[in-house]
Amino acid sequence: MTTYIKGMGNISPQQTWDDSVLLNKPLVYHDDKLKCHEPDYTQYIDPKQLRRMSRVIKMGVAAGSMALKQAGLSVPNGIITGTAYGCLEDTGIFLNKMIENNEHALNPTPFIQSTHNTIGSQIALLLQCQGYNQTYTQGAFSFESALLDGMLELKDAPDQSLLVGGVDEITSTSHAIQRRFGIFRKAMNNMDLFQSKEKGTLNGEGAAYFVLSGEKGMNDKVCIEAVKTLFKPTESDLHHEIISFLEMASAKPNDIDLVLAGKSGDQSFGTDTDKILEAFFPASTIGLFKHLCGEFPTASAFALWLGAKIIQENYLPAAVVFRNNSRPINRLLIYNPYFGTHHSLILLRAC
Amino acid sequence: MEQLIADLKRQIIEALNLKHLKPEDIGDDQPLFVDGLGLDSIDALELIVLLQQHYNIKLANPQDGPQIFKSVKSIAEYITANQPK
Repeated sequence: MTTYIKGMGNISPQQTWDDSVLLNKPLVYHDDKLKCHEPDYTQYIDPKQLRRMSRVIKMGVAAGSMALKQAGLSVPNGIITGTAYGCLEDTGIFLNKMIENNEHALNPTPFIQSTHNTIGSQIALLLQCQGYNQTYTQGAFSFESALLDGMLELKDAPDQSLLVGGVDEITSTSHAIQRRFGIFRKAMNNMDLFQSKEKGTLNGEGAAYFVLSGEKGMNDKVCIEAVKTLFKPTESDLHHEIISFLEMASAKPNDIDLVLAGKSGDQSFGTDTDKILEAFFPASTIGLFKHLCGEFPTASAFALWLGAKIIQENYLPAAVVFRNNSRPINRLLIYNPYFGTHHSLILLRAC
Repeated sequence: MEQLIADLKRQIIEALNLKHLKPEDIGDDQPLFVDGLGLDSIDALELIVLLQQHYNIKLANPQDGPQIFKSVKSIAEYITANQPK
């Protein structure tokens, strides 16, 4: 099922929401987390609505608004969101207030906005969109699940336009808790993430939305050919599944011009990805992206935005290149492993 | 009463995150909902919680809400009449 990308919006730790040249001046952080470089939200959201929104809601609503604007669409037929953590900040506020106030006189706003589906709901409320509205919270497959649902919806009714996105935020509490697991490195220059051979990665966040349709428009340049998720596959299963995934889209490894690989810099898992890149894609250009956005469960949404931008603009930013085989980029594979457990594949093609 | 009204304006701005307003921007008799400050039903719930948290007043009859929350002055009058001694 070919799905066409009509518009995109992305708020990430990089400058991804204005007209500047794609990642020509990557933002450099000296930290153990990469937080979003955010726009002035009053450009996208009515200030009266804005006052009640937490940061992740603003990020999601603004990214959705950007995607709709690019697609020239005022109201989509449906809104599908993937988020692993949901609205963490308001969840934290609500839980803290429960303790502080001894479970009495709790403020309604953080409670109302602590649910995972607040982001998709807020977009629908602002747009008065009464169509299909779904939020997927499948850990590191949340965005892929949203994408698969969108593609299935479009298979049934290709003329629809759906707003599909992935959103997750870092809060100080969530970062402190996750850091205890030893999954993040000490503060470092994010652009050096792949230079040092250490355990751990950098925490990340972002919000990316896409307007998708099953019908090709005159201005469409990128389409999604296939999406697949694999949970804790064995090495041989993973290798087999990659080949069968490509075969289902009538492609061979050699047809892939660019692989955007979700290496996180964590040496515990990096060698597995290297094996795949060497075994199947020796002729392809290889790009990396997690030094730009950090590691988080919906990082695939950032990768989809980046891959689609590379094809759309026919431009491969130097900050992404890991190995350049100088191929014109028509077919692009996103391979995103998340802490060695969740592996996803998204195949893009120029159209 | 003047001090209570000033306190209420500050508390309302903080509780409802009305960052674009200063206390002096809110008139004592200015309607809070719809045409006035443009507050909505979620804000009404926040105001009920504000009365509980800051003044230890539980709204006995929710039907009285529209009258009590008409303006800052009407809230101050309700607090003065109902605050536990």
